[in-house]
Amino acid sequence: MPRMIPSELTGRLAAICGSDGVIVDPDRLLVYESDALTAYRHRPGAVVLPRTTEELRRSVAEVARLGLPIVPRGAGTGLSGGAVPLDGAVVIGTARMNRILEIDAPNRRAVLQPGVINAELSAAAACQGLYYAPDPSSQTACTIGGNVAENSGGPHCLKYGVTSRYVTGLKVVLADGSLVELGGGAREAPGYDLVGLFVGSEGCFGIAAEIEVALLPVPEAIRTLLGIFDRIEDSGRAVSDIVSAGLLPAAMEIIDGPTIRAVEDSVFAAGYPTDAEAALVIEFDGLEAGLDEDAARASELCRRAGAREIRTAKDEDERLALWKGRKKAFGAMGRIAPDLLVQDATVPRTTLPSILRGIAEIARRYDLVVANVFHAGDGNLHPNILFDRRIREDLERVERASKEIMRLCVDAGGTITGEHGVGLDKKHHMPLIYGPAELDAMWGLRRVFDPAGVMNPGKVLPEDTDPELPGAGEGVARTGPGAAGAAPAVAGMHG
Amino acid sequence: MKATASPAAQLGGILPGNRVLTGGHAREWASGTGAEAVLFPESAEEVVAIVGAAAETGTRLLPAGRGSWLAAGGWGREARVIVSMSRMDAVAHYEPADLTLTAGAGIGMDALADMLAPNGQWLAADGPGCDGGTLGATVSCGVSGPLAPRYGRVRDNVLGLEVVTGDGRLLRIGGRVVKNVAGFDMVRLFTGSRGSLGLITRASVRLFPLPAADVTLRFGAGNAPEAVAKARAVCAGAVQAASVEVFGGDAMAVVVRLLGGAEEVREACDRVAGSVGEAPDEVLSGAGSEALHRGRLGWEAEADARAGDSRVVARLAALPDRLGRTVECADEVAGALRGRIAADAMSGLVRVKGGCGASRVDELARCLGSARGAMEAGGGTLTLSEAPRALAARVGWTGAGGGKGGIGGRIKALFDPDSVLAAGPP
Repeated sequence: MPRMIPSELTGRLAAICGSDGVIVDPDRLLVYESDALTAYRHRPGAVVLPRTTEELRRSVAEVARLGLPIVPRGAGTGLSGGAVPLDGAVVIGTARMNRILEIDAPNRRAVLQPGVINAELSAAAACQGLYYAPDPSSQTACTIGGNVAENSGGPHCLKYGVTSRYVTGLKVVLADGSLVELGGGAREAPGYDLVGLFVGSEGCFGIAAEIEVALLPVPEAIRTLLGIFDRIEDSGRAVSDIVSAGLLPAAMEIIDGPTIRAVEDSVFAAGYPTDAEAALVIEFDGLEAGLDEDAARASELCRRAGAREIRTAKDEDERLALWKGRKKAFGAMGRIAPDLLVQDATVPRTTLPSILRGIAEIARRYDLVVANVFHAGDGNLHPNILFDRRIREDLERVERASKEIMRLCVDAGGTITGEHGVGLDKKHHMPLIYGPAELDAMWGLRRVFDPAGVMNPGKVLPEDTDPELPGAGEGVARTGPGAAGAAPAVAGMHG
Repeated sequence: MKATASPAAQLGGILPGNRVLTGGHAREWASGTGAEAVLFPESAEEVVAIVGAAAETGTRLLPAGRGSWLAAGGWGREARVIVSMSRMDAVAHYEPADLTLTAGAGIGMDALADMLAPNGQWLAADGPGCDGGTLGATVSCGVSGPLAPRYGRVRDNVLGLEVVTGDGRLLRIGGRVVKNVAGFDMVRLFTGSRGSLGLITRASVRLFPLPAADVTLRFGAGNAPEAVAKARAVCAGAVQAASVEVFGGDAMAVVVRLLGGAEEVREACDRVAGSVGEAPDEVLSGAGSEALHRGRLGWEAEADARAGDSRVVARLAALPDRLGRTVECADEVAGALRGRIAADAMSGLVRVKGGCGASRVDELARCLGSARGAMEAGGGTLTLSEAPRALAARVGWTGAGGGKGGIGGRIKALFDPDSVLAAGPP
């Protein structure tokens, strides 16, 4: 049931952000019911869209004063249900806080508001020969504030690392409406790494109002290869062999057979052979000198691992063509089934061949189509289970298969999420990788930043592990590592 | 040795006698601290027991590795018992093709380097003194060196930790995969927390392939402004150098390190010389280049303070384009300390080392205070990483911490409510 927000509150919020900055009309609230993981939908009580740090700070203070839950939101492209407003929460969106405040080329840094779109920062810095390295697949839509909340990755994180490597300073609004400055400017701020702690806190600690990031010089040259394989395990082995040989590509991405066929059957056809079982995109960047040698060595290693064909991009158009199958994979899957569940586990790179075999076996056993497209260099898998949510049996099979895949990855030394975040979707899987002590510590940290528990409640940590709830701890024992956990009904669907 | 009833002795009773140092042996091992005992646990469970006993007896602990940098930052000045992780040095997991390693906190950085090199890999950490220290101390101190812009800071390359918190909880946080966003990032919180929240017993880290070519170019400079101009020119060029440093002293020099493939590094050498506008005075390749930089890791610890003086090391940090002003400030401090400077042009950090005699505390305190004022006015900082107590008491180890809303204090209270461990940050 949507929560009724007192009209005095919406009036005060409108006085702060302007009447166009507060949404209470039920039709307009629809957009804010979910993020890109549309299986979870909850109607917000209201949406507030501040433009400045001061408007953000005062809005948070007004809502928190009444003890109402607050859900921060960027562009809503998240894939873990992190921006879903449970319990009629007030959504505070940063979409209008979209100004780049400073691009400081001599120091290779930028200061920006949280609503700046990821790709727009790189576009703005390009004229000074700089760019922002983390490149999530949604980078033309997602905001840097959202990236900070999720500690987002992307294909080129293999060489360059994820968001938290690039965030050097933050001004954050805490749940009590205070503005706190963490890191920034001078590089030797004494004390704990609170910037590192805040990045990836999924909106549970506060809202970033200003973000300082490091920029990199645009690489002078790029070489892109595409290896075609008849067996997906061989492509996984090629990835390990390339890393073992001391090469450090900027990206290594695998697209499996079902995904290739989906892409080639769609308007996004990229010219991949449809009888192949895997395509491996490899990219090197840096100074022009030496890139051909790196590319030649990677090609040879792919051949030795069993690649039947290697394509090399000769110019930017050809490069974009080689990437097309990877970039359009998710869009193309809609042709196979109406819904898909995307997972995000990361495993040690060397286990990729056996994990891929294991996922295929699980898919066979449950008679499901699983399409894999993923950041192979980082071992960050995205197995996509394709199904039709209108068929009840499908839902149950998907749920069971999904759990088995998650368990397989954790047992191989992996983790439940590499870049999408825990959010609402994976919080019940947290006891697969953490015991009561670690979960207690995380609850404690959450309360350090937000003692009243108003910031994005119901996300990241399963409620039955909260040490301050009566009877808590029993839940942990019941669903602790090794147990299945109380997973929600099938989620993670979009398509 | 353990017959007395002192808290230190009671804690020592947890371990066999051959893993406890007391009295003169402890003072010798832990010189510069007031420690009464040094304990050498061999398991996380023993560490849990030690922390529990410390809480009961109200004994302040300081975690350590080999004890080579105990005086750093003054964080452990009140510790009565030192817990050295040096016996917890086993490699738990190493799969070269994963480029990750998990090992006990006590493994030496030198032993680690020797083990990784045959597989063509390394841990790209080059913070001061880390060659002689342990993995746990490197993570706990979290101080990065000039390679950080290229390879990441220490905190960027720690994937997972096992820690015993001040209230005796054993936590296994993070993991051993390179991408992991499951839960809040406690790994980054504990990295650099210098033993104030917990004792690190094991760490998983990200490794890098050893570059095929390692070349160092040395350019001379007549004075500091000339050196800064040359260093900044290299930083602004298209070549991503591994490090760009300015070393002061009798022969001022700009030292540029290039790492990568053979062909790439050859090209980079030519372009760096082009950016500087002259050929280098000296070129070191391969083992020569590696040895030079390995030697620099001990720069802060090199004993060149005058006899009878206590060593002082200060760090002046500001944005890289203020390097000229930071070097000026550092030069003034170096003059007063009769010491020298080393500047990291890519990060904007300038270190000063020198000495302080008992009679000059007032004079040096004024000089450091004035330099800190100048740095803070430009948005920078001046911190002391080593100083005699009298000087540190006058100047303060750090300046204003900035407004963090008391978050650091609340985190300290969360993990170490009884202050069993070293004091937290300001």
